[in-house]
Amino acid sequence: MADNEEFIAEFLIEASENLDQLDQDLIALEKQPDNPDRLGSIFRTVHTIKGTCGFFGFTKLSTVSHHGEHLLGLLRDGKLRFNKHLASLLLELVDAIRVFLSSIESTGTEGDVAFPELCQQLDAACVLTDTAISDQVKEPTSSPTTDVDQGTHDIEDTSLNAAPTLKTEVASLADVTLPETDSLDRAPLTKTESINENIRSANSLDATIRVDVQLLDTIVDLVGELVLARNQLRTTVTDEPSLLDAVNRIHTVTGELQEVAMKTRMASIEQLFNKFPRIVRDVATACGKEVSLHVDGADTELDRTLIEKIRDPLTHLIRNAIDHGIEPVHTRRAADKPSSGQIFLRAFQESGQVTIEVSDDGAGISVDAVRKKAVESGLVTNDAAHDMSDERIFQFIFEPGFSTAHAVTNISGRGVGMDVVRTNIESIGGTIDISSQRGIGTVVHVRIPLTLAIIPALIVSSGNERLAIPQSYIQELVALREHGKSHVIEGLEGSPVLRLRDRLIPVVYLDRWLGLRAWKERPTTGTVVVVKVDNHEFGLVVDAVTTAEDHTSHATETTGLWFIVVKAISSLLAPMGIYSGATVMGDGSVVLILDLRGITMSADIPAHTRRGGDLQSTSEELSEFVKESARYLVCETHYGRRVAVPLNQVQRLENFLQSEIDPAGDSCFVKRDGELTQLIDPDRILHTSERLEKEPTDSSIVGVILPHELGNKAIAVRRIIDVETGHGSLEKTATKSGLLGTLLVGDSATEVLDIIAASQWSEESSLS
Amino acid sequence: MNTSEERTDQKRCCTFLIEDTCFAIESDNVTEVLQRGVINKVPLAAPAISGLLNLRGRIVPAIDLRIFLEYPPATHSIKQISLIVDISNEWYCFLVDKLLDVKAFDPHQVVPPTNNSSSALAGVLPDTDHLIHFLSPEKILKNLLDIRTESLSVG
Repeated sequence: MADNEEFIAEFLIEASENLDQLDQDLIALEKQPDNPDRLGSIFRTVHTIKGTCGFFGFTKLSTVSHHGEHLLGLLRDGKLRFNKHLASLLLELVDAIRVFLSSIESTGTEGDVAFPELCQQLDAACVLTDTAISDQVKEPTSSPTTDVDQGTHDIEDTSLNAAPTLKTEVASLADVTLPETDSLDRAPLTKTESINENIRSANSLDATIRVDVQLLDTIVDLVGELVLARNQLRTTVTDEPSLLDAVNRIHTVTGELQEVAMKTRMASIEQLFNKFPRIVRDVATACGKEVSLHVDGADTELDRTLIEKIRDPLTHLIRNAIDHGIEPVHTRRAADKPSSGQIFLRAFQESGQVTIEVSDDGAGISVDAVRKKAVESGLVTNDAAHDMSDERIFQFIFEPGFSTAHAVTNISGRGVGMDVVRTNIESIGGTIDISSQRGIGTVVHVRIPLTLAIIPALIVSSGNERLAIPQSYIQELVALREHGKSHVIEGLEGSPVLRLRDRLIPVVYLDRWLGLRAWKERPTTGTVVVVKVDNHEFGLVVDAVTTAEDHTSHATETTGLWFIVVKAISSLLAPMGIYSGATVMGDGSVVLILDLRGITMSADIPAHTRRGGDLQSTSEELSEFVKESARYLVCETHYGRRVAVPLNQVQRLENFLQSEIDPAGDSCFVKRDGELTQLIDPDRILHTSERLEKEPTDSSIVGVILPHELGNKAIAVRRIIDVETGHGSLEKTATKSGLLGTLLVGDSATEVLDIIAASQWSEESSLS
Repeated sequence: MNTSEERTDQKRCCTFLIEDTCFAIESDNVTEVLQRGVINKVPLAAPAISGLLNLRGRIVPAIDLRIFLEYPPATHSIKQISLIVDISNEWYCFLVDKLLDVKAFDPHQVVPPTNNSSSALAGVLPDTDHLIHFLSPEKILKNLLDIRTESLSVG
C-alpha cells in the first residue's frame, strides 16, 4: 500500500479539484439543463473517481459513485431530463464523495459511512420517469457508440466495441425497473449542510501545490544564470583563501540547486500508467478476451511534458497487444496457455534514458511472415532479407503502410499504425524496437530520454559559428582527410555524396548551406556528421566537433557529447524551420540547436538512400529506375559519341593519363589506391571503335568510377560534357546490350548506358 | 482609478536616435536598457535580425533598427544601445544608436501614418524642434516574419 501513497495523494488533489468543478457544473446545469457538454463532463468526472477508487479498493466510495454515474449516464443519453431534484441529489453525491475523500486523507480508509439512502435515492431517480425508459428500451441502438469508455473508441472495428456495451445497458435498464418510489420523497438536504461545514474546516489537501511550468522554467533559467556567474567568480578569485572557500560553497550549492530545479520538471510515469488498467479492461471486453495487466516501475520519473507525449503511442501498443497479440480464450487453451492473457508494462531508467517495455504472452509475430511481406512490398530484396537479423526484420513493422490486409492475416495485423507510433516516439528523441517469438509472445521496447529540457548533443563548428546537433539523430561521425585512405566526398557539384561502407549518403555542407561561408573548391577536410531523420539519412559536413572545455557549465562533457539545456527560440525565428531551439554555453554565448527535421525538408534530402546492394538488380528494374532518375552525367566518348550515365550511379570522376593505362589481355586497367580498376570503353559497347589503347590522340582520359558492387570498374570517356536532366521516356534499343536505350538528355538524344550490362559485357569479352 | 485615468490621457515613451532621426516606442513594455552585449548570429535569418543574446539565461532575439529601417549598418564609432521590450511575454531586443529620453506624451496628438509610409510606423508626433517617429514593435515583428516568408518562397 505504501507504493500507492503518493498516487493516493495525487488522486485526492485531483478529485477535490474535480469536485469543486462538479459543484459549479451542476449549478450551471440547473439553469441550463440541456447542455450536453456539461453533462458529459460531469459524467466523466464521476466516472473517473469511480474508476480510480475501484483501483485502490475503496469499494464504498466506488459503489456510491457508481450509483451516481448510472444516473448521470441516463441523463447524458437523454433518457432522463435534468431537474432541480436531481441536481440536489447529485450535489449530495458530491458532498458524500468529499466525506470519503477527507476520511481517506486523514485515516487512509474510507471510514464507516456508506450512504445507503443516497444510493437508493439515486437508483430511484433512475426509474422516476419510468415511461421514458421503456420508450428508450425499444430503441437502444440509438447511440451505441457514444459510450463513455474512453480508450476503446478508436479501435478499428467499432462494432466489436458496441456489442457488449449495448448488452450491459439493456441489462442495467432492466435492473432498475424495480421501483422504490416511496424513498423519493425523503430528500435529506439538511444533512449535507452539516457535512459541508465539517469538510471545509478539515480540508488540508495542500501538502503539494500545483505550479505553472513556466515558473519552473524561469527558475531553471535563473539557476543556469547563477551557474554562469559562479563560473566567472571561480576564474577571478584565486588568491584569497577565505573567499575561495565561500566560492567553493557557492559552487556546490549552485550545483545542487540546479539538480533540484531540474527535478521540479520531473513527474512519475504513474499518472500515465494508471490509465491503462481501464483501457486494458475495456479493450479486452470489446475483443471478448481475458487479459490481465501487470505494471512494474510506475514510480519511474521523467519529464512531465514527455509523459503526455508517450500516452498515445503506449495506448496504441497496449491496444495492439490485446487486439492482435493475445489470442482468443479457446486458442489459448488449445496452446496450453492460461486462459487469461498477460500484459506486462514495465518502466525503468537505464543509462540516462527511460525504457518502457510492453510485453504480452500472446501469439507472437512470425519473422518469416514479416520477412516475406517486406520482400513483397519491395522494401528489401529477397537476398538481403535473408541475411538480416530478426531484429532488423521486425523493424519493417514500423514502415509506413507495411500492414496491408494480407499482412494483417499473416502477422496478426501488428503493423496497424505502428509507423505513427514510431514517428511519435522518434519525435521526442526516442527509439522503438520489437522482438517476438511465434507462440510465446511479443516484447516492444520503447526508449525515450529522461527529459527534453536537457539533451545530449554534439557541438560543431562551421564557418566560425557553433551549432548543436541533438545526439538522438546522430548515426556516426566520419572524418574527412585530404590524403591517405580516408573518406572523401564524391559525386558531382550540386549532389555531393559520401560513400560509407555499402551506402551512398547525400551530404550537406553546413557552412555553405547556412550562408556562413562561400567557397568554390569543395573543402577536403572536416567532419561529416551522419544523421538519420525518419527514412532520410544524410551527412552534415562541419569544420570540427567541439569538445567540452569547461566542466563547470551545465554542459558537461562525456565522450564529446554535451548535455545542453534546451531553450525555446523566439517565435520570430521558429518558423524558419532550421533551428529547434538554442542553448547557453558556459561562456554565456548562445548556440543554436539545429532542427534536423526541418533541414531535411529545406535541403530536400531524398528518402531512403539507395543501398549499394540494390544496384544488383536486373536491367529491367534499372531501366524503370532510370526513368525516375532525372539527372545524367553526359560524356563524350573517344570517338565523339554522346553517352549518358545515370548520375546516381556515378561514384566519382577521376582523371587518368594515357600512360597509366595497363592493357592486360583484352582489357585495360588503371591503378587506383593500389588496386586495379578495369576500364570499360563505351565505344566498344556502341561498336564505334576498337580498343581504347589504340586511341592515342588524348593524353588524358576521364574515368567515371562505378559503384564498387559492380567490381572495380570505371567507364573511360574523353571528356565530361555536363550534368543534364532527362526528358520523356526511354526509347529502347534492344539490339545493343550494354545500352538501356536513347533518351532526350538536355537538348539532344543521348544513348544511356546500362551500367550493369556494360560491366558484364566487358567481363564476357575479356574472358573470350 | 486616478492613476489609470492619467494613463489613458498621458502615455510615456522612450525616444532614441538612429542617425539624426528621432524615433520612439511606448515605454510600457520596455523592461530595460542595456549596452549592446554579445550577440550570436543566426544564419539565414532576416538581415535585420542581428542574432540572439543571452539575457540572464533568457534567449532574446536582437533586431537592429538601423538595418530594419534601411540605414547603413552601424560603424564601430556607434555604441549601440539595447532596448529590451516585452511583447506578449516574449522578450525582444531593439538595437538603437542612442537613447534620448523617456517622456510623457498625449496619444491624441500623434498623427497616424499616411498610407505610403513605412509599415512599422505607428505615427508621428511634433516635438519642440523635431518630429518623433513612433514605431510599433508588433508591426516590426510582423514585418520581419513577412520578409522571411517571402525570401523562403523565392528560394
